[in-house]
Amino acid sequence: MKEKLCLAMDIGEQMLVCGAEVHRVEDSVKRICEAFGAVRTDVFIITSSMVVTVQYGEGDTCTQTRRITSTGTDFEKIHRLNALSRKICADDMTVSQIREELAHIVAVNTYPLWAECVCYAVISGAFALFFGGGGIEAAVAFAIGAQVRLVITAADKAISNKIFSKFIASFTATALAFAALKLGWVPTVDKTMIGIIMTLIPGIGLTNALRDLFTGDSIAGLLRSIEAVLSALAIAAGYFLFAALGGVIG
Amino acid sequence: MTYAEILQIVTGCVGSFGFALLFNVRGKRLWVAALGGFLSWLIFLLLTRFVDSEPINYFIVSFLISIYAEIMARVMKTPTTSFITTSLIPLIPGGSLYYTMAYAFQSDADRFVEKAVYTLELAAALALGVIAATAFTKLLYSGLRAVTKTKG
Repeated sequence: MKEKLCLAMDIGEQMLVCGAEVHRVEDSVKRICEAFGAVRTDVFIITSSMVVTVQYGEGDTCTQTRRITSTGTDFEKIHRLNALSRKICADDMTVSQIREELAHIVAVNTYPLWAECVCYAVISGAFALFFGGGGIEAAVAFAIGAQVRLVITAADKAISNKIFSKFIASFTATALAFAALKLGWVPTVDKTMIGIIMTLIPGIGLTNALRDLFTGDSIAGLLRSIEAVLSALAIAAGYFLFAALGGVIG
Repeated sequence: MTYAEILQIVTGCVGSFGFALLFNVRGKRLWVAALGGFLSWLIFLLLTRFVDSEPINYFIVSFLISIYAEIMARVMKTPTTSFITTSLIPLIPGGSLYYTMAYAFQSDADRFVEKAVYTLELAAALALGVIAATAFTKLLYSGLRAVTKTKG
């Protein structure tokens, strides 16, 4: 019984780590526990913690908790975890079969760092053009975009605080954009900066936060909203700090 | 369509594709996300000819694109979020957030407040569109289920 609950929590934990919505995780964990034969399942999940109690028959209960510290966005894993939990509910899978499949899913590769740098660069360049920038502004945004990804990775490793990494990334990006301005490559920093900001902006976070709030997951929604607001402030703080320093240096 | 508009549609689509890659969307689903980005800005531009208010336009586009995401998610048997988050990328108000920041730095209080409120309006319209579409599909589904139950 403990082993089965632990397995259900493993699947739920992986879903949260990959950035699935809270109500989806709650639903999946509940369904899996019920497929394992629980009479009653009480699930409470927020983005950073899970508490699940299952009851099998009279007075036979078991509770486990998990603390979730890191979250990212990995839709391929969510897709596969979702398929796995559907399969558990539909077919009779043994615990070892499920374990094996889960291990496969966890081992799914993400893209290497250089590919992510290219993505950041392309996104920054594309949005510099989108917001009315010229070819050179897009090229500068392209170069700085790649650098932003490297800075975020380095900062994440050094301090493992997402808000702070965004602050540092925004600071270095602003510095480079103003350097390009000083060198006369771009007429203004506006379009270049907007392109880069599109990669840092918590737009998705805010949309998901509001969705959570409206669908009844108030605590998860509030946590996500605060995270989104803080990262927007971090981006602004990075920009301000350099712009102020730049004003002093001239 | 002007050259600038076509460029926006193409780059918006590239942006959606890029984010889909970053979020590890794979295979055919990657193209669904890119098509979503393409459609979202295309619909937005077409609607600007009829709708004066940008936030209302944002709401309509976000609603329609979320419906598209819900449909494709059911076809592809994958969570809806993966298509919503990537398809709506071109609508994220990055430009107005930047100008909010820039006006704050220039101590231009009037324009700062105006831009800040505007950014929030756009973000709220975007989220409300998604929420409305989620509610709509849920209602539709439970309605369909009730109908098939009474018939069956």
